[in-house]
Amino acid sequence: MATSEDPNLREAEQAFIERWHDNAYGCYSSGHKFCREVCPVMSVTRNEDHTPTAFHANVVAMEKGLLSVEDVADDYVHCTQCGACELRCPNTLMVGDFYRARTETVKVVRAMRALMVEKGLDPEQWRLWNRLTDELKNEPVLGLEGDQPSGQEHVRDWADGLEIPVGGETLMFVDCEAAFYRTSIPRATAQLLQLAGVEFGLMREQWCCGGPAAEMGYVEQSRRFAEHNVADWRAVGAKRIIAIEPHDYVHFTEDYPAYFGENFEFEIVQIVDLLAELIRDGRLQLVHPIERVATYHDPCRLNKRKGIHEAPREILRAIPGLDFRDVDRVTQWAYCSGGGGGLPIEKPEITAAISRRRLERASELDVDMLVSACVWSERPLSAAGEAAGIEVRDIVELVAESAGIDVGGSAGA
Amino acid sequence: MSLAAPTIDSGVLDELRAILGEDGAVLTGRSARLNRARVPAPFPVHRWAEHVPDVVVLPRTAQQVSEIVKLANRQRIPVVPRAGGTGLADGAVPLRGGILLDVKRMDQIKEIDMADRTVTVGPGINMQTLNRRLKRYGVMYPDDPASYACSLVGGRIGTSGFSLLGGRYGHTRDLVISFEIVLPTGEIIEVGDGGARKVRKSSTGYHLKQLFMGHQGTLGVVTEATLELVPRAETEFAAFFLFQDYDTAHRTFGELARSGLATLAGVVIFDPEKVAYLRRDDEAYLSQPEWVHAVTAASLYGTRVEVEAASKVVMALGRSLGGKYIGDEISSGDWAARHDRYANPLHGRASDGQVVPMSWHCEDAALPYSQLPAVQREWHAIAARYVSKYEIFDDWGMFAYTNGAHKPWGDVLVEIDMGLWEERLDEDGWRAFVSLKREIAQAALDHGGSLTACHGSTREGDAELVPIEMGASWEVVKQIKRTLDPLNIMNPGKQMLDEAYADQETTA
Repeated sequence: MATSEDPNLREAEQAFIERWHDNAYGCYSSGHKFCREVCPVMSVTRNEDHTPTAFHANVVAMEKGLLSVEDVADDYVHCTQCGACELRCPNTLMVGDFYRARTETVKVVRAMRALMVEKGLDPEQWRLWNRLTDELKNEPVLGLEGDQPSGQEHVRDWADGLEIPVGGETLMFVDCEAAFYRTSIPRATAQLLQLAGVEFGLMREQWCCGGPAAEMGYVEQSRRFAEHNVADWRAVGAKRIIAIEPHDYVHFTEDYPAYFGENFEFEIVQIVDLLAELIRDGRLQLVHPIERVATYHDPCRLNKRKGIHEAPREILRAIPGLDFRDVDRVTQWAYCSGGGGGLPIEKPEITAAISRRRLERASELDVDMLVSACVWSERPLSAAGEAAGIEVRDIVELVAESAGIDVGGSAGA
Repeated sequence: MSLAAPTIDSGVLDELRAILGEDGAVLTGRSARLNRARVPAPFPVHRWAEHVPDVVVLPRTAQQVSEIVKLANRQRIPVVPRAGGTGLADGAVPLRGGILLDVKRMDQIKEIDMADRTVTVGPGINMQTLNRRLKRYGVMYPDDPASYACSLVGGRIGTSGFSLLGGRYGHTRDLVISFEIVLPTGEIIEVGDGGARKVRKSSTGYHLKQLFMGHQGTLGVVTEATLELVPRAETEFAAFFLFQDYDTAHRTFGELARSGLATLAGVVIFDPEKVAYLRRDDEAYLSQPEWVHAVTAASLYGTRVEVEAASKVVMALGRSLGGKYIGDEISSGDWAARHDRYANPLHGRASDGQVVPMSWHCEDAALPYSQLPAVQREWHAIAARYVSKYEIFDDWGMFAYTNGAHKPWGDVLVEIDMGLWEERLDEDGWRAFVSLKREIAQAALDHGGSLTACHGSTREGDAELVPIEMGASWEVVKQIKRTLDPLNIMNPGKQMLDEAYADQETTA
């Protein structure tokens, strides 16, 4: 077995084992693998090394001296951090309330990835991606090479002609994929908010939220980005942040409070919750029929991680003309696009296969449209949708269309 | 503890890679091997390294499996098949290293035949996943074990599994119409009731399907199965009845089992220790009054017109000896939770009452219905001795279920659930566990039972008793094993089958 010679790294490994020991034994003692068949990565690779069960058993094996970080580094790349395994775990389901127990797997994966970064065992593509993110202050979503428009001078290009002020009590936070790749989403969002009379502004200098870095194990970078963004929010007196994207929402409601503790004073609003409210209150009128047959893709971070599944369904049912064929949220625990957790950066072929499977499920419903609410899911789903003859749209784009807005921007390459 | 380097030479690994023909299908890494060394059954964690295979292969076709097995014969390397790895005995646990053949990539649905009501699948598919695909056709594959969400078809055949709906629809042995199996020498054959793939009843030849059903990986590797499709049940009904004592609950169990209702999926009985255990820790039972010491439950599946009428009979029989109905909400809720309640390590308590993560040991047996009360007392007496002597056991009580497919009245699947604190396990503790298993198994035999109804007797503890249960037929079993697997390649060391090779040198 390879062991680290550097005492600091050995200490980090030991701290990891101690931190996750009880959680790991809760799974190891059960070993029933109810999580396996809802895991999107496992469903594609069918390799037991990629199961949540293995992720926990490895902690026990490390404690016994049977495994080192080197042995398992590649295994822990195989996770989208969708959270399905935690929901399906019998420990969570059957005794979660009684013992206040919840099997935590996403955090174990993130902690292992942080160890991998510390030990220089992080995968090459992640290293490059995060280095470029650090340089650009946004993720290199348009490509790792060449001179695509990126960086601070282009971070608000998507808003051309929309006359959105900078600063204010409410800020709209636009994640990197939306700001640079699928600009139709922030444009649709901004125009809907303007139409409904919601006052909002943009950040003075918006950096990446830092969430992807945290998911891939680059903890220090994630925190540095968070500190920049929070300083920017405070500088303009912001009180409320609209997250137009589920990954940001998770990051702002879980990681930021963990970074800043009680000093994190911001209200975080998810866009689907806000849009559902605006439609319910009559501040947005959806009058233009959309004569399509559609099903909804529950983004993992909304449905599985944050329990947000009602609002998007309420919105879709409010769109006139739409034949909405729903699949319940629990069945969708097993669905994913494969777009999260850094997977498409390092293992794009697995992401593509996960999206293909998702589109197979949609095809069974005889729909011509798959609606998502997560921009990161939409690129791989669109690629799979093209082959399946199913268009992939973002829910905000659809709402804007039904509200009569000529959105503009780009729906991706 | 350290992990020995694989003993398989690089030439064999190259041959395996050539057979598999894709990247990532031949795994030699430590985590790949360590994570295929155990199943949910209690595991000698202190001897983990001894159960690690030398190499893991992930085939996609029967042809690949055949070539791997032929290579293993040429090189005299053990082969251990593994499907879900969710068994409660050790069928999928390697005892002598070798090639671990993981069939999870063989998970395709190959044909849905709505005319002849069959579905043909690879052994790596899970039943819940399959049923989600089948739903839109209005049919289901009703093999419904506690591990419904995680066990795979290959493992169900390998163990000859028990279905919680077996009284109504049959168990795995009844629901698998035919299957393809790669023999221990590499030939690919199809076995059924006769030779036809989609025929349920035949008088041709020998009924080889049942020979290979429950093979525990010792007679080959299943590579495809043709399964029964039944109409999705229009409705289901479950009723739980409360009792002051076990004997009345047992007699009520008998009344329900003998009801003759064709829609009866099964009858279950919870003994006083099980009720106490659930009351101790389980939310759903906290509200039950103190006088409750046993529970009997029955479930019905079928068309509305059948189930509604039958439910009245169940309610009358359940109350006929004084049982008190638990109420609709808990009845339907507890029945719906039948899969999840089993996998629950957090229920373990050390002797001082401290909650500790315990692994679940489920010792099962098949018994004549009449013997259940006596065995219930004996098993708990055995368990009590071990609980008091060792700090690592906890008695979680017993369940019993009607066992016969379509004939639920004669015998029962009985299980005692015990917690085992693996984290504290040393060799003494492990020996105690093995001894506990053996005593429990012996008691089942003493009462005219069979060692196992559904898990298999694949490891130390009860494996030694297999020849005793089989009696004179053990000679035939050994002859079959040696004829089909002349070099003892397939899953060696299980079920005392090494005795078949007592006079020859094999891989062992």
